[in-house]
Amino acid sequence: MRRTSDRSGRVVRRGFARRAGSVGALLGVVSLLGGCAPDGPTSVHQHNGGVSIGQPDEVIAGPQGRVPQFVVECAYSHAAQDDPIVWPGQPGMSHLHVFFGSTETNASSTTADLVAGDSTCDNQRDRAAYWSPALMNGQESIDPVKSTAYYRPGIGVDPQIVNAFPEGFTMVAGNSAATEEQPVSIVAWGCGAGIERSALPIDCGGERNLRLIVTFPDCWDGANLDSPDHHAHVAYSSKGVCPTSHPVPVLQLQFAVEYDWATDPTGLVLASGGQHTGHADFMNGWVQEVLETETRLCIHGEVVCGIASGRTDG
Amino acid sequence: MNSTMTRRALAGLTAAAMLLASCGGDDAATTTTQPSATTGAPVTEPMPETSAPETTVGADDGFLTVPTEFATIQEAVDAAAEGEIVYIEPGTYNEAVSVTTNGITIRGADRNTVVLDGQFELENGIRALGSKDIVVENLTSMNYTKNGVFVTGVDGYRISYVTAYRTGDYGVYAFDSVNGQIDHIYAAGSPDAGIYIGECFPCNAVVSHVVSEHNGLGYSGTNSGGDLYIVESTFRYNRAGIVPNSGSYELCYPERQTTIIGNLVHSNNQGDTPAIDVALLAMGNGILVAGGVDNLIERNRVWDHDKTGIGLAPFPEDDPNDELPTQEEWDLTCEESKQVAPVDPGGAIIWDSWFNTVRDNVLEDNRQADLMAASVGTDVSTLGHCFSGNTFTTSAPNAIETLAPCDGTGSGDWMDNFYNIALWLTETPPPSVDWKVAELPALETLESMPDAATAPAVSAAGGPAALDLASIGVPDKP
Repeated sequence: MRRTSDRSGRVVRRGFARRAGSVGALLGVVSLLGGCAPDGPTSVHQHNGGVSIGQPDEVIAGPQGRVPQFVVECAYSHAAQDDPIVWPGQPGMSHLHVFFGSTETNASSTTADLVAGDSTCDNQRDRAAYWSPALMNGQESIDPVKSTAYYRPGIGVDPQIVNAFPEGFTMVAGNSAATEEQPVSIVAWGCGAGIERSALPIDCGGERNLRLIVTFPDCWDGANLDSPDHHAHVAYSSKGVCPTSHPVPVLQLQFAVEYDWATDPTGLVLASGGQHTGHADFMNGWVQEVLETETRLCIHGEVVCGIASGRTDG
Repeated sequence: MNSTMTRRALAGLTAAAMLLASCGGDDAATTTTQPSATTGAPVTEPMPETSAPETTVGADDGFLTVPTEFATIQEAVDAAAEGEIVYIEPGTYNEAVSVTTNGITIRGADRNTVVLDGQFELENGIRALGSKDIVVENLTSMNYTKNGVFVTGVDGYRISYVTAYRTGDYGVYAFDSVNGQIDHIYAAGSPDAGIYIGECFPCNAVVSHVVSEHNGLGYSGTNSGGDLYIVESTFRYNRAGIVPNSGSYELCYPERQTTIIGNLVHSNNQGDTPAIDVALLAMGNGILVAGGVDNLIERNRVWDHDKTGIGLAPFPEDDPNDELPTQEEWDLTCEESKQVAPVDPGGAIIWDSWFNTVRDNVLEDNRQADLMAASVGTDVSTLGHCFSGNTFTTSAPNAIETLAPCDGTGSGDWMDNFYNIALWLTETPPPSVDWKVAELPALETLESMPDAATAPAVSAAGGPAALDLASIGVPDKP
């Protein structure tokens, strides 16, 4: 039977996702009204539970190649109870994170530190810091295998108008204080590089590793490199358009962490609490001209500059 | 002063300034060019700004010379117009070159002494993106974290007389590209494939006169096919030799209609190479169709493999991105198939190989079977393969040419020496070796293209040169 181009067959918990998105939008507006310092990180940090403004129109999953992209795969670097976005300068204050990309990331890291340092990524000039909460089995952290960062236009966004993240840019996606399922379009669990998506960790049958997949906002307010809750300066596009509050289309980063766990996830918890608190953080430590070049050549050029096959180094 | 000369004069000034300043270009894909002392190449003196009259920056001959006229390959590429040749003089260039211009040729003066070196930091030696009619020829590309030469979204490419050595992904990699020719390549030291053509149907591409060794896979082609020919090449000392395959992580599945004729395929049991997991799984096989459809494998000489000489096998995909395409969908072009929405299959899928033709090959000393057809969960007799005219000793199942002749009706017992391919999943092959340090044959002096200094550009538009398949016989053993 020939399939149609109707994309509704995807696993999407649309009803809940829409409700959560509305709440997120309200919180986002509140944050914006609170004001943000221009051109730099703010000194006021909300430590828990920021919520993204909006959400993607659909879950981003399936074969790669329909839209332009470039991809960076990074080995696991280190773990620490540090968070230079949410707890800057306060080592040990955060829940346990696993870090990828920059080998330098600690509680005091600045984006300048990252650019000057080394990287675990296959693209050595991607020195960004990517991190997510550790996945715990009891008191033990499950070793992450690697991370994969997919850089694309937001859904339906004209690739020609997509901008690279500016220097010094940081953001968080997902709600580290969530007490119920988050929209699968933002925080999802899957198995290996496959299409399957779930709001909670799933049993990957022993053959594939469990992955946490976090999709970041793709619209920026054009002024603030961060915001008090680390969400409010960015938002998700809808129907290919950025909201007027966040009019600048930027790359859509989808960040996946593969954990060395392939079976029943019952009992696993994120270091941020429970199984609902999936989130990820990004600090732009790219060599800026490289990020801009990749955006120009791959996204504006509308070509696939790389594929993450899931076929791994044996 | 015509426009080319003007451009060159300006470029000469830029080149001089850059050399004097010893700094990289403004494009992230370029770094400082350093003509090598070790290669014996002449070192170009910096060109003072006051001594760059147009008469000193080269004739308007369609050659943009690096580093004499342009400090870096990238600068010359950016300056080149359709029909022009970026001509690279001997030296070592620590660059990652990106090409978006149509109709240009990037040519080394000498295949062996023009070396692009990624120094284990840069991603691709030369990367062509979305352009048309691109030629890369007569150079060496080594130590890149991704690929030696990479074309993506390109219509019309020719990659000739290129050495790709010690690369982190593929040696020569064509993705979502059509109308191509890959010839006279030496590719060694990639964990994935020395040569790869993927996501195209019809590809209209030829791989010929290639030597691919000490890679995870000699050749891999995922979701490619349709007027795709692999001919008169050598695939040896890889984990596995020629492995067309299917997977739903990228588009245009399944792999189909690849023609493999007149190749030497031997000794692909090499346990000390870098290797992705698929190469580990396929290790010890000469030509292995892994979930491919309607391929023609003919007049190859295949010997010395721990498992099979020519195998038609299923390929498991544990983390699929779509359900298996229907047979009706096999006829879709790549562009048409991109419009089909994926469906979560709810678990692992198995790509069976179907309707492959294996004839007139010469096989020996393939220790499990010279010829093999297998499945997991599907009756192999229903897969529509055929075998005729091969010179062989063993097959699994036994008497495979009687069971599935290419002409006439088969007969016999398909369960007689049934090949239990599931056992592959239980084996533990030697682990991958880090591609950066894997032991490789030292680079020897390899054949350069004829008349590199004077040969005019030959367009790659319109696809590969015509093949006379009928004239290709089973190659002699070396």
